[in-house]
Amino acid sequence: MNAIFCGMLLLGVIYAAWSGQADAAQRALLTGGEEAVALCLSLAGAYAFFGGLLGVTRESGAVAALAAALRRPLMQLFRFRVGEEAALHDICVNMSANMLGMGGAATPAGISAMRRMAEANGAGASASDAMILFLVINTSSVQLLPTTMIALRAQMGAANPADIVLPTLISTCASTVCGVALCLGLRGRGARGG
Amino acid sequence: MTASWFLPVLLLVAVLGGLRARIDVYEAFVRGAKEGLETVLRISPYLIAILTATALLRETGLMDRITQAATPFLERLGLPGEAVGVVLLRPLSGSAALAAVRDVMQTAGADSRAGRLACVICGASETVFFTSSLYLGAAGVRRSRYAIPAALLAYAAGVAAAALAT
Repeated sequence: MNAIFCGMLLLGVIYAAWSGQADAAQRALLTGGEEAVALCLSLAGAYAFFGGLLGVTRESGAVAALAAALRRPLMQLFRFRVGEEAALHDICVNMSANMLGMGGAATPAGISAMRRMAEANGAGASASDAMILFLVINTSSVQLLPTTMIALRAQMGAANPADIVLPTLISTCASTVCGVALCLGLRGRGARGG
Repeated sequence: MTASWFLPVLLLVAVLGGLRARIDVYEAFVRGAKEGLETVLRISPYLIAILTATALLRETGLMDRITQAATPFLERLGLPGEAVGVVLLRPLSGSAALAAVRDVMQTAGADSRAGRLACVICGASETVFFTSSLYLGAAGVRRSRYAIPAALLAYAAGVAAAALAT
């Protein structure tokens, strides 16, 4: 992330200087943070609610049946390090929400899962294989129904707004399969001292 | 339609499960909500960093220039030129990509190959950089190892599959 961040900033500023757009650059730098804070404020309510909901399901064992059913395959897929399986509950909620296209519910659960796995690995450590696999599954999340796109297509006057469902499913599955395969293949790469 | 039942049902199951397990549901909710708010506080600096960098590329027009430069290259790989902007914007920003999709449908037509492909690519993928910075930031991870390359390659595979299937 460091290289990407520095690259974006340097390229942006150099390009702005080269094309004489100091105004645009300044505007971007000032509004970018504003945009992010507005987003955080709008996220705060939702994340508090989802955090609360997760807290109840975790402590009540309400999704224990689901978690138990998924425990074996997930343990095999992720090969958790000691302590990381504490994230199992959140991972189950995250994945089922993702499958149902509830991105808004999936992300808080996903972030909570990442935090739990990070806690098991100690602060400031590098990402574990399980964490990376989980991240890649989320960035290439399987979308069963692209509702936003179908709505947009209907609005733009497409003859059959839903004709993108099958190609979308093929594309999203291809990216997830490829991502999981890459992660399994790269397991252990770049780990310092295990 | 069915997806909107997910939350209410989950909430129902959670509360009933909590009552059955005789835990203090209210306290459990409040503890979780506190954790949720802490998460937002924790990810906010990362959000500010990535959104500022994205805004810089967008406002200075560099993003458009990169799109123009990459178009002939990606066209040779079988992507219609109009859809290239969507492909490049999608990993960075969901709202910018959505605006680009709308643009493609307006200029090339909603039922053109470019228009449909833009929709497929946008609908099948996630904002890779944004999501990664959120997840890694919340976890306080300093070294993300092969996470970003793997996520981007997976995205590229999704785009390739979309181009073949559309």
